[in-house]
Amino acid sequence: MGISLVIDVLLALGLVGLALQVVAGPSLFRSIVLFVVFGLVMALAWARLHAPDLAMAEAAIGAGITGALLLMTYRRLVELNPEKRGETYLGSRWLAAPVGVLTGVLVGLIGWAALQLPPGDTTAGTLARDALDETGVSNPVTGVLLVFRGYDTLLEMGVLLLAFLGARAVASGRAHSPGTSEVSEPALVGALLSLVVPLTILVGIYLLRAGGHAPGGAFQAGAVLAAGGVLLSLTGRLVPTDHTPLVQRLVLVLGLLVFSGMGLFMLFAGSAMLSLPGTWAIYLVETALMISIALPLALLFAQAPGLKGRGH
Amino acid sequence: MQAEIYVAASAAVFGTGVYGLILARHILRKLLALNLMGGGVFLLLITLGGGADGPPDPIPQAMVLTGIVIAVSATAFALAMLVRLYQETGRATLELEDDDQEGGGDG
Amino acid sequence: MAEQAMILLVFLPLLAACLAFVLAGTPARVIAGITMAALPALMLPITVDVIDQGEIAHSLGGHAAPLGIRLVADGSGALMLWLVAIIGSLASLHAWFSFRDQPDAEGTFWPLWLILIAGLNGMFLSCDLFNLYVAMELVTLSAVALVALAGGPVALSAAMRYLLLAMLASLAYLLGVVLIYNATGTMDFRLLAADLEATPEVIISLVLITVGLLLKTAIFPLHVWLPRAHASAPGPVSAVLSALVVKASLFVLYRIWFWSGAELDLAPAEWVLGLAGAGAIIYGSLAALVQSRLKLLVAYSTVAQLGYLMMIFPLASLLAWPAANYQIMAHALAKAALFLAAANILRGQGTDRLQELGGLDRRQPIDLFAFGIAGVSIMGLPPSGGFLAKWMFLETAWAQAAWGWLAVMVIGSLLAAAYIFRALAGMLTSRQTEFQARIRPVHRAMSLSALALALLALASGFASSPILELLGLEPPGLSVDS
Repeated sequence: MGISLVIDVLLALGLVGLALQVVAGPSLFRSIVLFVVFGLVMALAWARLHAPDLAMAEAAIGAGITGALLLMTYRRLVELNPEKRGETYLGSRWLAAPVGVLTGVLVGLIGWAALQLPPGDTTAGTLARDALDETGVSNPVTGVLLVFRGYDTLLEMGVLLLAFLGARAVASGRAHSPGTSEVSEPALVGALLSLVVPLTILVGIYLLRAGGHAPGGAFQAGAVLAAGGVLLSLTGRLVPTDHTPLVQRLVLVLGLLVFSGMGLFMLFAGSAMLSLPGTWAIYLVETALMISIALPLALLFAQAPGLKGRGH
Repeated sequence: MQAEIYVAASAAVFGTGVYGLILARHILRKLLALNLMGGGVFLLLITLGGGADGPPDPIPQAMVLTGIVIAVSATAFALAMLVRLYQETGRATLELEDDDQEGGGDG
Repeated sequence: MAEQAMILLVFLPLLAACLAFVLAGTPARVIAGITMAALPALMLPITVDVIDQGEIAHSLGGHAAPLGIRLVADGSGALMLWLVAIIGSLASLHAWFSFRDQPDAEGTFWPLWLILIAGLNGMFLSCDLFNLYVAMELVTLSAVALVALAGGPVALSAAMRYLLLAMLASLAYLLGVVLIYNATGTMDFRLLAADLEATPEVIISLVLITVGLLLKTAIFPLHVWLPRAHASAPGPVSAVLSALVVKASLFVLYRIWFWSGAELDLAPAEWVLGLAGAGAIIYGSLAALVQSRLKLLVAYSTVAQLGYLMMIFPLASLLAWPAANYQIMAHALAKAALFLAAANILRGQGTDRLQELGGLDRRQPIDLFAFGIAGVSIMGLPPSGGFLAKWMFLETAWAQAAWGWLAVMVIGSLLAAAYIFRALAGMLTSRQTEFQARIRPVHRAMSLSALALALLALASGFASSPILELLGLEPPGLSVDS
């Protein structure tokens, strides 16, 4: 009890301290790095709170992909205008005190309200646990994401597609190459990649398969696959294209098409919309989701409408 | 006790995000602040969902997973827009525009 | 039949967006056109069943709430869905022609546009607070991307401000939903009414949810993002943003106050919301009055007209309910017409500066006519839908002897007349302007879609009885004599 309480206090203090440094630290670059650290500490907190699914997702997406996106953007801003690197980023000083007081009150109110809430006895979540047997998966989180509240997951795939479409809409004409393809690279990079990239695919497939009964699932698996894509585009193995090739357009919408297509089939076959005809259907949908999560994340990182192998 | 610690931390992280969002001028830092706020909300959700005493309520867990993906999507889009804004204006901040500028958008 | 149609309202545009994205080019435009034309057809069986049975519902995945998510179409929901179908398809007709000469933008436009429509229908059908959060993100991100599609520093800054504030609003809403879920164990906004007590923690959650939704709806003083974003977007986008997108978050607010909070006494807060509405009416109208650009004038008019929709809170009663719904409908139709007409004028004249629009009656008579007819409804003159809405509001205020709110609404109508006439006066002067280099042809269909919407805004004043019949199912949170 004693030692674990100390860990929790340290994690909580770490989160708050890092958050303060992220918003108030003098250097923007340092704030981004600390934000990534914040994500990793958050992943530890999820593990402490018995939520390993979230720990994985936070480390892969919250810290990993978001951090990579932030750093890439920072680099592009510096490239565009190297002199502005040292500009002061925080706003007016005289506002700091009143805003600080206001947010302090807000923190107090939210914290107080949250602590007043009685621990729920029957919630939608307990119903989900009870009904889990009929779904064919034993990880309740996967059950909720795919079976009980699959509609949320489906719309969320639409949000991810929107992020890609929106980024494509605002991109200026010429594709930007984020990689260092022209510079000579250390000799071991190639060898390392030929080990790491197959490994990400393997881990992705494992996570997807495991999601049914253990921590994991389409999101974590998709994020790991995306990380493989990020590595390949960072090292110049994948280079940006000016347009999105047909295959990649199909892959981007595959999750949406498979999930809603199967849902509509069930609806017009007389069942409920988005009901799934068996465990195989859950894995089929999850596979499609995984692929459609990985590609837009990789493309968003590369800041390109499409990617192709070098030399094609 | 564990629950109280994390509730306090989540409220403080959310508040820190609000503070940063209001005071920061650079859009990148505003986005960091928004992501912190999201982290605070997610942490509160899981703590209240009983994470301190055992596996938390699966519905909040699914909500957080969805929320994480939505946060990364919105952030990625905002970052792409920031790069373009910087290319067009040389600014990474939002200033109040002169209302007499060309409105654009007849499409 | 009606249940399937209801589900297709979300999934047809969503799948069409995927197909339009994959196929690109001309097929994308054709797919979007067919989809948008199908929406009114899908509404027919839904309307019949809603009038017949009061509402239709479908539990997704076959899991009943609170475990699963329900889609529900009731009377006011069906009215909103009709607005999406009609305004969406007429704005699509406009976009069909106005985006044809921008092939680069068009490839992204149609998928974004179809996802926006799917998201709007999703918001009007969803019965689940967290699902509403996801659907709201769908609407917000597509709306922001469509604003940014106009390109240029002004539109990009406006889109960025819109996105940052919308993200803040979503998080405030989500935080409130988290607290509500832990207080009640459900997110179905009707089921949770039974478990909601007016404890301080529930009030704090409701405040967070309300502030988030007011920010998304751009209610004064949280309106700062709206004028620029709505004015700098492409024409059909402005129309749908002002007519539908801001109404969707307000619709959710109504749901939460009058369904979820039906058992709570929220009187002091209702007064605060009324004050915000009064501020919106006065500030928005005055700001519209001093604008030098047509599209900004129309955008500030939206800020003002949204204020009327707040009057339902202090005047909460069964009389105010049809008034608010009528105002949503009349304003949506009229404002979509105004924005399409203004976009046509900007396109045809190369500018929307009021000083330079003289002699428009000879050069773009249909657009001018559409602007004028829609203006009649915005001003609230008979026999338009806007008149009926404002009349019902005044009647309610009169019945409750609420003279302050009554005065604000009357002043708002006078100011609306002032800014609409000021715009029309500028367009009708004979002062001829210099030839503009940026003039582009305005296709007849673009003008006709604006005119059709303006005429519908006018006609909604005559055809009130079927619409009021649709609104027959009253929210439980409103009583006859409150």
